[in-house]
Amino acid sequence: MTEAVVELNPAVGYTALVLVALSTVLIGIYGLRVSRTTDDFYVASRTVPPWWNASAIGGEYLSAASFLGIAGLILISGVDALWFPIGYTAGYLMLLLFVAAPLRRSGAYTVPDFAQSRLDSLLVRRVTSVLVIVVGWLYIVPQLHGAALTVLITTGLPSWAGPVAVVVVVYLSVVTGGMRSITFVQAFQYWLKLTALAVPVVLILLRLGLDGGPVTDGGAAFTAELDTTADASLYGTISLVIALLFGTLGLPHVLVRFYTNPDGDSARRTTLIVLGLLSVFYLFPTVYGILGRIHTPDLASGGMADATVLLLPGRILDGATGDILSALVTAGAFAAFLSTTSGLVVSLAGVVSQEFFQGSVLGFRRAALLSALVPLGVALLTDSSALAGSVGSVFAFTASTICPLLLLGIWWRGLTDAGAVAGMLAGAVLCGGAIAASAVLGPGAGWVWLAQPALWTVPAAFATMVLVSRATARRRPASASRVLARLHTPEQR
Amino acid sequence: MSGEPPQGPRRVRVTAPRTAARATGASFPVAREMAEQSEVGQLFVASLIRSQLRLALVVAAGFLVILIGIPVLLAVFPDIDRVTIATIPLPWLLLGLGVYPLVIGSAVLFVRSATRNERRFQDLVDDD
Repeated sequence: MTEAVVELNPAVGYTALVLVALSTVLIGIYGLRVSRTTDDFYVASRTVPPWWNASAIGGEYLSAASFLGIAGLILISGVDALWFPIGYTAGYLMLLLFVAAPLRRSGAYTVPDFAQSRLDSLLVRRVTSVLVIVVGWLYIVPQLHGAALTVLITTGLPSWAGPVAVVVVVYLSVVTGGMRSITFVQAFQYWLKLTALAVPVVLILLRLGLDGGPVTDGGAAFTAELDTTADASLYGTISLVIALLFGTLGLPHVLVRFYTNPDGDSARRTTLIVLGLLSVFYLFPTVYGILGRIHTPDLASGGMADATVLLLPGRILDGATGDILSALVTAGAFAAFLSTTSGLVVSLAGVVSQEFFQGSVLGFRRAALLSALVPLGVALLTDSSALAGSVGSVFAFTASTICPLLLLGIWWRGLTDAGAVAGMLAGAVLCGGAIAASAVLGPGAGWVWLAQPALWTVPAAFATMVLVSRATARRRPASASRVLARLHTPEQR
Repeated sequence: MSGEPPQGPRRVRVTAPRTAARATGASFPVAREMAEQSEVGQLFVASLIRSQLRLALVVAAGFLVILIGIPVLLAVFPDIDRVTIATIPLPWLLLGLGVYPLVIGSAVLFVRSATRNERRFQDLVDDD
């Protein structure tokens, strides 16, 4: 650890962190001046144009796992790690196909809102709320672990400093501006993250090209065996892909974003742009990972693989150029934790405040505090594992609980409240149990079906939901046909 | 409905849950009329939902078959690893680059067809 701390000039780290935090708060304050009504505060009045909205979705979605985790995983396990960016991107394809337009037309702001209006049941709403809150908290924790790592190796500050800084900045920008300012901040942060990865990589490749330095080392970059624990089975790969594909469409901060589109058609166009933005973005962590396999292989054995993106520019380019580029990637990483965390905190606060604080603006602020402090406590008490992997477990959990509710709720009029609750609980118990069991048992080739449970827990949750709904067909809400018609018919032009 | 001239955004007190207010939005007159009042309308809506679901399932299945096909192919023919283009092995090219145009292509195909389905539905309703 100490060796890594010496590598970067702490002044560089501090400058980057302060600049990102400051610009985030400033844009938040600018947003406050334009957010006037309650609708602005919650959902940006649904008047955000597709390009802005798509950038904001990208900004919010590209988390620590994307910015740091993918390159780290490619460094360690090579070609198998490429499934993560594929899953993260294709998750939006599934969202486009099955959820985007209908969910926008449902008029629901959160998943619990949707569940209640579709099934006309307060119990379903409560269960969904609890699951959404759990998913949100679980997803914030790896962001804060990423912040701890970044602050540690860029400034040498203790590991609690990063998470605390992120939570403070997020809380300030969330409570001052609400959703409208968050939309501006997120859109800005997508482009910051892209620039922060793209500019250094172009300069690195340029330098390596001029000096004749090794880029792929004649293909050695692709075949190098840096991993000691790789157990990428066909089952593991497919299960991971299923989790990422179907987990995305249940993530709470992703859903809120669709509410800011004016109608179903623009929700689709926004998603299309998002797919383009994500596809472009993920090229860069991949290049970092490949370069890292030649230039920073020591990070793989030192348990610091997630620092590849942060340290690579300084290893290849020296002097002021190296410092400036290190500052740039540090800023990008910090932007990743900030944007994902604030997106999650906003959407969680929306759920928590409606559930427990009567949905007032003051309640929203209290709920935001609660939504940020709980994961902070968890993050400070736990050790970080590989970022991309721990985020993968959250996707599996979401795919086994909220995804079946949304898909069946949108497309199948036979869904009942009893079926929805039974299916979500079955998915939560099976998937949560499997992940917990695999954490207790530790890594081992025999336990891949527990470590990557999506392939059997997602179908199990769907099956439970369908069977129990069939058995309780009398509980079908009378409004089902009317609600489905509203979800699928185009708005008046 | 009448008698209240619009005066821009008005201050609204927010109360929970905020679902009830939106459930009766005015922006879905066609859909609601269709679903609630005419039997023909219900048929139109049901057929729209069916065709959108079929479209989504077909695109998803096509995409997934190709996607899952890649690891299966690599598991069955491990020698593919040795095929390289500019020192980059074929699996890296497929997974690092090749999948993304496939994702975007599927998405464009879907958005076009879904919009066309909706336009067809709109035309039917307007004729009716």
